[in-house]
Amino acid sequence: MIEAIDLNKEYRRAGAIIRALADVNLTIKSGEFVIVQGPTGCGKSTLLNVLSGLDLPDSGRIIFDGENIARATEDRLSKIRRQKVGFVFQDFNLVPTLTAVENVMALLWPTVLREKEIENRAIAALRDVHLLERKDHYPVQLSGGEKQRCGLARAIVHRPRVILADEPTGNLDPESEKQVMDLLKQINKDMETTIIVVTHRASLNSYADKVVQMEKGAIIKIQ
Amino acid sequence: MAFRLFKKAVVMVLREKKQFTVFCLMYTVLIFWTSFSIELIIESGGLGMASASFFIALGVGIFLSLLYGWIIVRRNSKIIATLKCIGWTNGDINSLVSGFILFTTILGFILVIEVLFHYAAIVGYLEAAAAALNGSTYDIAELPLVSLLPVVVTFIIFLSFQIIAILLANRKILKVRPIIALKRVGE
Repeated sequence: MIEAIDLNKEYRRAGAIIRALADVNLTIKSGEFVIVQGPTGCGKSTLLNVLSGLDLPDSGRIIFDGENIARATEDRLSKIRRQKVGFVFQDFNLVPTLTAVENVMALLWPTVLREKEIENRAIAALRDVHLLERKDHYPVQLSGGEKQRCGLARAIVHRPRVILADEPTGNLDPESEKQVMDLLKQINKDMETTIIVVTHRASLNSYADKVVQMEKGAIIKIQ
Repeated sequence: MAFRLFKKAVVMVLREKKQFTVFCLMYTVLIFWTSFSIELIIESGGLGMASASFFIALGVGIFLSLLYGWIIVRRNSKIIATLKCIGWTNGDINSLVSGFILFTTILGFILVIEVLFHYAAIVGYLEAAAAALNGSTYDIAELPLVSLLPVVVTFIIFLSFQIIAILLANRKILKVRPIIALKRVGE
């Protein structure tokens, strides 16, 4: 599904060079639930950005569904993300002027699908995350857990092959954290979607098929 | 698809009540001001205060249009980054932002037509009343109407300003990196 080969990435910050990824090699199979874990600044978010094509590695290859995306054009990457990738953000990143259902629909607006079809898919996605009764609420009217479930519905509305989640429970209370992680696990099982979660919380490891431990830009352990 | 995004832009911009109302009213005032200046230029032969008023209105108009384009991208950079993350292309986002900008101007233009009718009615009423008090008669032909030509010319001028604003916004959209959607607040 996703193969990272000899990935390297450096940043310059305040004159110093920070090695965010150091010869990273990782294979993620289709349908796996992977947790990437490590302390702050270990390179786990950089790895997620690079795997999704949001950031480019300095060297190395990322084979996504048989295609090297490390050198793909921006439009090609957008198309891949729209068709195959779902994103879940720590800060939810919902559009404040759109209702829950419109936020979910927004992903499909630039497609050739008919409006009714888009709406039906968005409603089905909201039903999957148990948020249908809140479909006409604006983000400001939703709790943190509900916002994240709305974000999750947006991530699954196009039936992606992989969902990438960057600290998806970072802003949630323990109860909402459990709800969101249970939903991710359910999506992983029911839809056979590959899930990659970046987190610093070891308590979430029980959800994973594979835990990737990172430190100083390198993978130190895969279990 | 571009039409759908334009329709969504209209819905979104109408919900951004504060920003939309302020800019729409400013456009209304500017379009009215510019139309009136053009009318005066036509009447006076293009000299003096009317020309100065026209060029000031143009300057303010282009500044406002560029400011609006800049504010839309600046204020919505995280949303734009998020849309890029979830698969929108730069072209899709350009369509949405163009919709924001164009709709605000078009509504400003429609409001101007309404304002011009009221302006003519109020001024006509006051002048007729003054004429009646003076014992003279008021000729309806003296009604201070801004004719259609200045309004249409003004609309074309403002539309071209908006095209410049859209081009500026498009350049700024290209510079928004999707990665900022993943950054924490304050990071």
